[in-house]
Amino acid sequence: MAINLVKGQTIDLRKNDKGESFDLSSVTIGLGWDVKQSGGGGFLGKLFGGGEEAEYDLDAIAFLLDKNGRVADRGRSFQKPNGNTVSLYEGDVIYFNSMRHPSGNIWLTGDNRTGAGDGDDEQIIVKLDSLDPKFDRILFIVAIYQGRKNNQHFGMVDNAFIRAVDNHGKEIAKFSLSGDSTYNGMCSMTFAEVYRKDGTWKFRAIGEPHTTDNFLELLKQY
Amino acid sequence: MAINLQKGQKIDLGLSKMTVGLGWNPNEGTGYDFDLDVSAIMIDENRFVPQDEFFVFYNNVDSPDSAVHHTGDDPSGGNSDGGDDESINVDLTRVDSKIQEILFVVTIHEAQPRRQNFGQVRDSYIRIIDELTGSEVCKYELGEDFSIETAIEFGRLYRRGGAWKFEASGVGYKEDLAFFLSKYFKGQIIK
Repeated sequence: MAINLVKGQTIDLRKNDKGESFDLSSVTIGLGWDVKQSGGGGFLGKLFGGGEEAEYDLDAIAFLLDKNGRVADRGRSFQKPNGNTVSLYEGDVIYFNSMRHPSGNIWLTGDNRTGAGDGDDEQIIVKLDSLDPKFDRILFIVAIYQGRKNNQHFGMVDNAFIRAVDNHGKEIAKFSLSGDSTYNGMCSMTFAEVYRKDGTWKFRAIGEPHTTDNFLELLKQY
Repeated sequence: MAINLQKGQKIDLGLSKMTVGLGWNPNEGTGYDFDLDVSAIMIDENRFVPQDEFFVFYNNVDSPDSAVHHTGDDPSGGNSDGGDDESINVDLTRVDSKIQEILFVVTIHEAQPRRQNFGQVRDSYIRIIDELTGSEVCKYELGEDFSIETAIEFGRLYRRGGAWKFEASGVGYKEDLAFFLSKYFKGQIIK
């Protein structure tokens, strides 16, 4: 894991540092990003000459962790109508092939494949107050779909942010996680976590980058 | 009667519940607040933090064994005029058996961009207060020992023969909190 020394990146979701209270019956975790135009490809982009024109497909993923920090239910394999078989279906991992948790308390609103548009590009909605007590922490991960194949990485992503918005649409917190050179070659990121603490929920920006573009690699730790 | 510690001095504490308090008064006119941070690094026999949460600081105020609690960040030294600005509560009876030593470090947040150092801070000290009686057990005044430094390991609690001792280490560096952490933590540090 990682320790984040940046100040002000851990907040109480029920009450922020301004003392405002929030309605956590549902919280939207919104992710947004823009892709650098060509020329901003950095060392790797220039080296391979790739990835500058291709669209970026960033995916938001959530791991629901129990008190031991594990993803207890890894779901099942499922054959989609198009014949493709997907894994982790209806388990404690929320992602583009299993967008809704069976409890109905956490879901991904849709799969944005280009990062087009301002504001949130992908959203995960969590009914925090209804979430089963066995879930202690939710980890939010962003991965660049097939990033390694397309030579795409977080060093080429601009204006990446994660924010939390309460049930009334009030923004609780927003953190910028924009790429700098330390993100070169990094195809996924542990963006943030929401965790229970003293009867309330806390939200912490993490911004820990990983080289893999496949969240299944990260899932192995949980 | 409180002991005024000198650098390198070791004492037997003879108590288990204590508050480690830190106070400072900034000099006027440097243009920025002085944001000193106290942190506790809990290390095992290999001198490493066994898991993230054993590093107790402004973003993680409780150790997993509930032995160490940081009472909160004071970003300006304004919490108290003359008293403790930041403090860490320690209950030695609850410290995880893996932990052999607890290092207390003080760092100046954003020292480099703000061009600040301990030479610009007055009356800074670390002290230990007996939580049961509220009396001061010992005090170590950092004042004259440091000038250009921005990070100080000022004390450590360590196990010795089944008891805990305290040493006023007083070792300064021109570094930041990440530097201290990297000496005792193998994971990634985001700054």
